[in-house]
Amino acid sequence: MSSPLDKPQIISHFQKSLNYTVFDSKWIPCSAKFVCLGNYARGTGVMQIYEVQQGEAQLIKEQEFPKPIKCGTFGATSLQQRHLATGDFGGNLNIWNLEVSGTPVFSVKAHKEIINSIDGVGGLGIGDGAPEIVTGSRDGTVKVWDTRQKDSPVANMEPGEGETKRDCWTVALGHAFNDQDRCVCAGYDNGDIKLFDLRNMSLRWETNIKNGVCCVEFDRKDINMNKLVATSLEGKFHVFDMRTQHPTKGFSSVSEKAHKSTIWQVKHLPQNRDIFMTTGGAGNLNLWKYEYPSQRSKTDSDDLAVGVAGSVTLLQNATVSTQPIASLDWSPDKKGLCVCSGFDQTVRVLIVTKLSQV
Amino acid sequence: MSRTEASFPPHHLPPPHHHPLPQDCSVPVEHLDYDYIGKCKDVKYLEKICTVLRSGDEGIYPRLIMFCEDHLEKLDPRSLALRKEKPVSTAACLPNDEWSHIADELKTWQEETKASETSLKQQSMFDALVFENMPPIRGSNCSVPLCQTSVKKEKRTLSRHTLPRDYRQWDKFDVEKEFEKIDRNVDKHDAPAIIHQGHANIKTKVDASLLTQQEKLLLAHREKEKGNEAFRAKDYEEAVAYYSRSLSIQPAVAAYNNRAQAQIHLQSWHNATRDCERVLELEPGNMKALLRRGTVHNHMGNFQMAVEDLRVVLREEPQNAAATKLLLEIEKRMKEREPEQRRRGKQILIQEVEEEDDNVNTRAKETARPVEPSQPVGGEESSAAPVERGDMGNTQKKPHSRGDGGPHSEPNNSHGHRRGKGASADKYRVTQESKEKVANGSGKRGSTASAPADPSSSSRKEPPVGGHAGEPASLDAPCGALPPPLSRLKNEGNLLFKNGQFSDALEKYSQAIQGFTDSGMDSPEDLCILYSNRAACYLKDGNCQECIQDCTRALELQPFSLKPLLRRATAYDSLERYRKAYVDYKTVLQIDISVQAANDSVSRITRQLIEEDGPEWREKLPEIPLVPLSAQQHRREGPPSVELLQARAEKAARDAERTAEVRFTAVKQEGNDFVKKGQYQDALGKYTEGLQLKPEECAVYTNRALCYLKLERFTEAKQDCDAALKVDPTNKKAFYRRALANRGLKDYVACSSDLQQVLQQDPNVQEAEKELEEVTVLLRQSLANVSPAKPRTTVPITEVAGDEETPGAAQSESPRGEEPINLQLTNAYEYGQALNAARCSGNTAACAALLASTPPERLPHFLSTQLDGNTISFIMQALDSHLLEKDPHLVYQHLHHLHTTHRFSVVLMLLEKDERRHMTQLFEHMSAVQSAEFTENDVQNLANKYI
Repeated sequence: MSSPLDKPQIISHFQKSLNYTVFDSKWIPCSAKFVCLGNYARGTGVMQIYEVQQGEAQLIKEQEFPKPIKCGTFGATSLQQRHLATGDFGGNLNIWNLEVSGTPVFSVKAHKEIINSIDGVGGLGIGDGAPEIVTGSRDGTVKVWDTRQKDSPVANMEPGEGETKRDCWTVALGHAFNDQDRCVCAGYDNGDIKLFDLRNMSLRWETNIKNGVCCVEFDRKDINMNKLVATSLEGKFHVFDMRTQHPTKGFSSVSEKAHKSTIWQVKHLPQNRDIFMTTGGAGNLNLWKYEYPSQRSKTDSDDLAVGVAGSVTLLQNATVSTQPIASLDWSPDKKGLCVCSGFDQTVRVLIVTKLSQV
Repeated sequence: MSRTEASFPPHHLPPPHHHPLPQDCSVPVEHLDYDYIGKCKDVKYLEKICTVLRSGDEGIYPRLIMFCEDHLEKLDPRSLALRKEKPVSTAACLPNDEWSHIADELKTWQEETKASETSLKQQSMFDALVFENMPPIRGSNCSVPLCQTSVKKEKRTLSRHTLPRDYRQWDKFDVEKEFEKIDRNVDKHDAPAIIHQGHANIKTKVDASLLTQQEKLLLAHREKEKGNEAFRAKDYEEAVAYYSRSLSIQPAVAAYNNRAQAQIHLQSWHNATRDCERVLELEPGNMKALLRRGTVHNHMGNFQMAVEDLRVVLREEPQNAAATKLLLEIEKRMKEREPEQRRRGKQILIQEVEEEDDNVNTRAKETARPVEPSQPVGGEESSAAPVERGDMGNTQKKPHSRGDGGPHSEPNNSHGHRRGKGASADKYRVTQESKEKVANGSGKRGSTASAPADPSSSSRKEPPVGGHAGEPASLDAPCGALPPPLSRLKNEGNLLFKNGQFSDALEKYSQAIQGFTDSGMDSPEDLCILYSNRAACYLKDGNCQECIQDCTRALELQPFSLKPLLRRATAYDSLERYRKAYVDYKTVLQIDISVQAANDSVSRITRQLIEEDGPEWREKLPEIPLVPLSAQQHRREGPPSVELLQARAEKAARDAERTAEVRFTAVKQEGNDFVKKGQYQDALGKYTEGLQLKPEECAVYTNRALCYLKLERFTEAKQDCDAALKVDPTNKKAFYRRALANRGLKDYVACSSDLQQVLQQDPNVQEAEKELEEVTVLLRQSLANVSPAKPRTTVPITEVAGDEETPGAAQSESPRGEEPINLQLTNAYEYGQALNAARCSGNTAACAALLASTPPERLPHFLSTQLDGNTISFIMQALDSHLLEKDPHLVYQHLHHLHTTHRFSVVLMLLEKDERRHMTQLFEHMSAVQSAEFTENDVQNLANKYI
């Protein structure tokens, strides 16, 4: 507040108005290109690839699909292939070779209803073990897919008989620091956060943050799980320290009221896991930094280790739109470069400066 | 529109009353005032005021708002009210240069990625291989229950939190409280806490064999970044794991460097050093690596190396704050450590000195013991007295088997004083024995009524506290001439000192000194000891000034006593008065050259002084007092109280013996130095002094003889040579010098006979030969003239000074350069040494001389241990180049015998080409030589055996 130029600045590099609603935008790894996913007003899906060129976005490729595409990920592909996995309104999981138009390289009817969220790990050199994709759907299930297995998921996390189906709004993969360990975190509309251990095929931890969980993300997918950020409908986010799990208290957390409206997205900076950006329902972006406590765990009265949460500091904020920013993606290659898209049918490329100095 | 379908989460309006209205929070208008706001400390209330002001309901006062915000920020910089929404910046918001920098960077990045993307596309794919190496598919459709087994809890969760909530509810509830509620409600599980330690199960190696170079780079970079993050989170072990992963993919300077830093935090110094060194291998002069290695060295205590590294850093980057700071720190620590070292050194020193004293005393005691029964009680006390005197500071005394003691005792033996060594070993044995038999000994003495117990043994048995009542016998043990109360004080002081209660000991000694001066006694040595002991206490307490004063007092009473000198030196050293310390240490070394700590300190201080004063440092030194020879006898002259006489004489004798050895060496050395400088008169004095100390040292006699010769005092020279020959009847030098002396005395017959003796022992002494020739002429002339009419020729003394320094060593010396070699070699080892020396210097002449003096039939025996290709070849060369012309027969004889040497045939087989060539040459030359002793045929036969 005192010396604004010392802090990271969020600079709008350029923006591009689109003629469709963008749900997701993702950088194509190892390139200056990003892909936008969304739906046309006529009810069809669309995928566009843009390249950043001389301060503006050049449309390179466009493809229309029968179903609107809700989300996409490059998390489970190799750097050479760079196949994009998408989830659409029809519950289909498709994997596309961006070089070749037409049919997907992998396609499965994954869910009965819309796939709200998708995440991948094991590709791009991020995370040990097999490339896997996780999808979360309105049908209440969370499924893990291995592209080597065509028709059925490798893991299915669904409510049992008679249990209420909750809308799964978000999924995230993490804890993939060796071949065996891997965790899926899912956030539901009722505020439930569930952590599934894929190694043991069990629910490892659950909590409720009282409000619909819009987005969860591990600070890193490919390390021993360190932190988890969950954002909620009412403008708060929680940072869980995932290193110490108390048998009853679970993971300790710190929460912060960040926005005056829903936090749609949280994304950690790929180059620094302790910096993350949240995007708000009022078109604002907040850049945060997590600071570790001096001791990350302590022992409670029962002599059990319990984690100690750190604190978060707002580094910068910026309002880019009046409409919610539904997606944001940091460039994995260029520090501080990010693309975000909102319901104002605009995609923006932003530059965040001085990230190395925080 | 499908957006409705897609618009998850349900789009909603922000809570309506985020900013409470002024009337709600009741901020009176009077509070919207600079004064009030300035004084207000309530953050919550200030936030309210701020909101009211911002709302503009009470009017718009931009300055007041700013003032309020500033004030709030001072109180709580993290206040939410200070968070203002900002519009996104654009390029225009930034200074031009900054933006252009960003834009440029972006542009280069775009170009780079484009290039790398193209190359990525061109690379072939290894899908099949990649798949093969993948872990197996997890399984098919494994169902994971959404809730934990406790159905009850699930129910409760569901029943309690139904959605959607009312917006107003969101404003009300406190998450933390809710959490606590949940925590309280949750059933207790038995499961232990799971702690994810960062480094657990992380593979430190990554199989990157299938990756392309580009992928490897990327991956290595990413692993390094993970390491950096872990490092920032202070998970150093995890960081090390990730850096290792990065390095296993692609070794890089930065990762090594970072891992080094992480290792530093983990305090695994060796790994850190290794990493730093690897960096420096890859990139010599890497500042970070140097700095880190410096840090590691610092932590490992290698200050010198640390300083070196840091100096390099500072040379390159004089502004490097970290290096400067560290360097200062290290220098400080080095300084701190020096006194520590000194203290340690001093401990050893005291120990050493004490031990010697103790040994002496024990010996004294030992020798006194046989008399014990027949002695009256008083006499026995007196025999024990020196024991008390000597055991100052025996806390550090350890059994002699300990490593420390060893080296210090060694210099005593270094000059071939077998006797001394035997004596000291004997001493040690005695001491040890006496310690082992502590109970025995004290019991023995206990039986003789008031006999004092050995304080060191009693203190060992039970650690006494100052003025312990249970130790009256020991405490009342008389000390020297001290009256009982004073000796009691002193003993108490000794005890306290032993127990490390230095200040208490100090008090006792001070009382003793006071009592001593009050009593007006005349026993300087006892007072000296008291002062010296008190000085030790001061030194222990770090009170160097007082220590110096006491030492000086002690030294006034007893000049050149070792302990006060050492203590004063240490104190000066601590005070960084190096010049004075140097002088004192030097004096100590004059008294006893074997004091290791003094030796160490002298060399350290020398360095220090050179650094301070440059090469002329010696000129700034105060004069180093020459320790008179009598320094140690000085004590003997103390007032001899009757009952002390015997013990003191013993002690003095022992002191004299001990110091004599040291003095002797010093004196001899000085003498040699004077000879070198040509100051024969001075040298004479020194040698005389040396001979007083050790009357049976042959070398000194011969040396003094040389001085006399130079001074043309032939009679004395002759006497010295006679004395030397008495000690060592075969001393060549003595003979030679006596010859010269006789010649000076014109006793040519004796001279000639002496020279013949020399030549008989060593036919190669050319001087002797020459001399003999001259003398023979002179002899004839003198015989002819009867009266020695011829003017005296000047005595040619051609020996080199270097020879003088080692008169005794000549016997086993190997040939040096062109000097005549000593060919009186008797065994294979010596022969081998000589041969080796010649061979190493490539001196074929020396070898030839050696061979010439060797009886051919002995050669195989001499060579038996030495024979190898090199030697043979060398001998061949020597024979060929030097001997063949002069004495072909000898060569023939040698060769005739050489091949009978043990293992000769084996060595012959292994000869190298070059070596073989030398041999062939020799035989060629030999066959060309005409000789009566052997024919060409013989040579041929011999050659057959060789070639």
